[in-house]
Amino acid sequence: MSELKEQLKAQIIEQLNLEDLSPADIKDDTLLFGDELGLDSIDALEFIVLLESNYGIKIADPSEGREIFQSVNSLAAYIEKNQ
Amino acid sequence: MVFVQALSSISHQNSFQKDSIWTELTTLEANSECESPDYKQYIPANALRRLSPVLRMALAAAQDCQSKVDGEFDAISVGTALGCLKDTEKFLTTFLTTNADTLSPTAFIQSTHNTIGGQISLALGNHAYNMTHTQNSVSFEVALIDALLCAKDGKSNVLVGAADEAIDFLEGLRGEIIQSDRQFTSGASFFVLGPQEKSVKVIDCDIEYGTQSIHQSIDQFLAKNNASINQIDLVLFAENIDLNAKKSLNYQDYTGLYYSSSAFAFHIGHDFLKSTNSSKVFIVNNQSDKRLGLTLIEKHEA
Amino acid sequence: MELFVTGYGAISCIGNNVQEILHALKSEKTGIQKGKQAHSEKYLVGEVLLSNEELMRKFALKTTGSRTGILGAIAAKEAFQGHKLDASIRTAVISGTSVGGMDVSEKEYRNHIDNVPQNLHNYAHHSSGNSSEQIAEELGITGFINTISTACSSAANAIMMGARMIQQGKIDRAIVGGTDGLSAFTINGFKSLMIFDEEWCRPFDESRKGLNLGEGAGFIVLESKESMQKSGSNSIARLRGWSNASDAYHQTASSPEGHGATLSMKEALTIAGMKANEIDYINAHGTATPNNDLSESQAIINVFGNNIPPFSSTKAYTGHTLAASGGIEAVIAILAIQNGCLFPNLNHRNVIEETKLEPIKSLKEGAEINAVLSNSFGFGGNNSTIIISK
Repeated sequence: MSELKEQLKAQIIEQLNLEDLSPADIKDDTLLFGDELGLDSIDALEFIVLLESNYGIKIADPSEGREIFQSVNSLAAYIEKNQ
Repeated sequence: MVFVQALSSISHQNSFQKDSIWTELTTLEANSECESPDYKQYIPANALRRLSPVLRMALAAAQDCQSKVDGEFDAISVGTALGCLKDTEKFLTTFLTTNADTLSPTAFIQSTHNTIGGQISLALGNHAYNMTHTQNSVSFEVALIDALLCAKDGKSNVLVGAADEAIDFLEGLRGEIIQSDRQFTSGASFFVLGPQEKSVKVIDCDIEYGTQSIHQSIDQFLAKNNASINQIDLVLFAENIDLNAKKSLNYQDYTGLYYSSSAFAFHIGHDFLKSTNSSKVFIVNNQSDKRLGLTLIEKHEA
Repeated sequence: MELFVTGYGAISCIGNNVQEILHALKSEKTGIQKGKQAHSEKYLVGEVLLSNEELMRKFALKTTGSRTGILGAIAAKEAFQGHKLDASIRTAVISGTSVGGMDVSEKEYRNHIDNVPQNLHNYAHHSSGNSSEQIAEELGITGFINTISTACSSAANAIMMGARMIQQGKIDRAIVGGTDGLSAFTINGFKSLMIFDEEWCRPFDESRKGLNLGEGAGFIVLESKESMQKSGSNSIARLRGWSNASDAYHQTASSPEGHGATLSMKEALTIAGMKANEIDYINAHGTATPNNDLSESQAIINVFGNNIPPFSSTKAYTGHTLAASGGIEAVIAILAIQNGCLFPNLNHRNVIEETKLEPIKSLKEGAEINAVLSNSFGFGGNNSTIIISK
């Protein structure tokens, strides 16, 4: 699971073009859509793309994303469950 | 009367935040590069990560202008000939090559022409009139004409400018659609117009699509503005034209090739007036033979 | 200075000209259906069911270009019918577009990606500016030709610029509006934003899921009184007010309190010298996205308080025609005034819970409509409003 989480952090940085960050800067439980990273609704869509292209998981309704993308922890858990 | 309150250009010249670009103007070398500032100083990282070169240049230049004037802009008018080419190409490539159901939206969102003006309004928290004009080689002139309409309507802090970027793809069009040997370049030039007296005033700007006679159009424009060619101290043109003027320069020698480069010519003209003993500058944008852009600016004696 | 509308023209999925569009509006018939082109066949869209070649032939166009240019030339030609060119009447063309010539470029670009020989001349129509120049050439107009590209508010902004140029004496007459053809680029773009409805869109409905894209063009001719005296044209309506304001909230979403939209509606009323209660009908932007319709509803409440005039979105008829929407909807506003018709917000069942605003549910004829307010809101928080009256 921790390997998946590290992988996810790198993928998030790439998909969202967070040029100044490294995986070490994102904690497992950091609120991704909180104040620290300042992500927005466009990023939420990018997460959906990330899930499909890297893990083959499709999310049809963008509003489902809010819970899934809360943190790296919740993302990893969702992937494990749905792969 | 409409005066230039502030100005800012990012180009292949060392132009950003220079007191006068006139004194340091040099013809571009082959394979010149855009002289970009450290964008992190002007744009927060969160916004910067999504911005292509044209968006970065325009936003930094607009921020630079905002820092030089008091108060919020009460109108914003932007010109761009080809818009956000890098993101357009990126999104085109994405959907033409992917089989996936989901597509990355960022490049699409960033590809629309009015992303430039939109990003400026977002960054500045500005709620005023915000317009994006795109008319090929006269894109800056139409944006300027709109800005002058705003000023006449009573707006006193008008941001106007233009930006365009080069992408490698354009090279492939050379010879076929684009008849020029010049290097494809990028640039953003922004100005603030207002009623406070400053050293340079904007007299008039006009465009004409389907010109029958450039010389006739020039004569009519100058006559309309109580001027004649022998009063002009500097003519800046895009393609060589013999007007029998005191001094003439081809501004593309300093901008390279992009289609809103007359905005940089405006900056050159402004700084020429400020730095020399002169009174009138005339910009003849004959970059295309299909349409003409004419702009007259003058020194203001307080 | 008073501004008069002396011509109108439009083409969309519900009609190839103004009379056909009026007929469809009165018949409460949508033109949205499953797409017939390779790029549109998976979606419900408002397509004009004629190819570029068929359009050029049917409307006897002199010029050629992208689909956007062709649709624009057709609608502008209809608007300018009966008008004559006159050296003493300075006539401008100002058109809005977001697609430009992309429908042609994207087909050619596939060859570039596949590394097969390209016909580079297909890129000649790419730029947005070219579509307006095509319209000008079709009508034989030279001089001031401009293109505005502010996404979905483009046509409304073009109308506004024409008005201001006439008022300031720069020109006498303006053909203003917008045009957008459907393209794979736009369809995929909106797909990436996940704001399509896979079913027929439901503007201002609680269950709305998103928009259906459309294509088309709409233009009006604006003149000053002096110009009309010279041209001998008859006025069919007046342009009373206009405004553009920025939301400055987010690149693609509108602010929940509808800040920019509130500003644009209020300022348009101010410019018109009209009070809110003088508006008899609002043709809303109403794209049927969860975000727009809520934001716009809130803005309507902000401006009209307890006296909300009858309103509808006609996008369930035409689809969202992007940059053309302000032009097509200006034509629809004039049709409402001329015919005393309140056109319905098709496919509506339940009001939005938060705001409870109920749109016009079915066609109402015999209405006294003196003034119409039309909203067009574009990405980047670009909010525009125009007001048209008898």
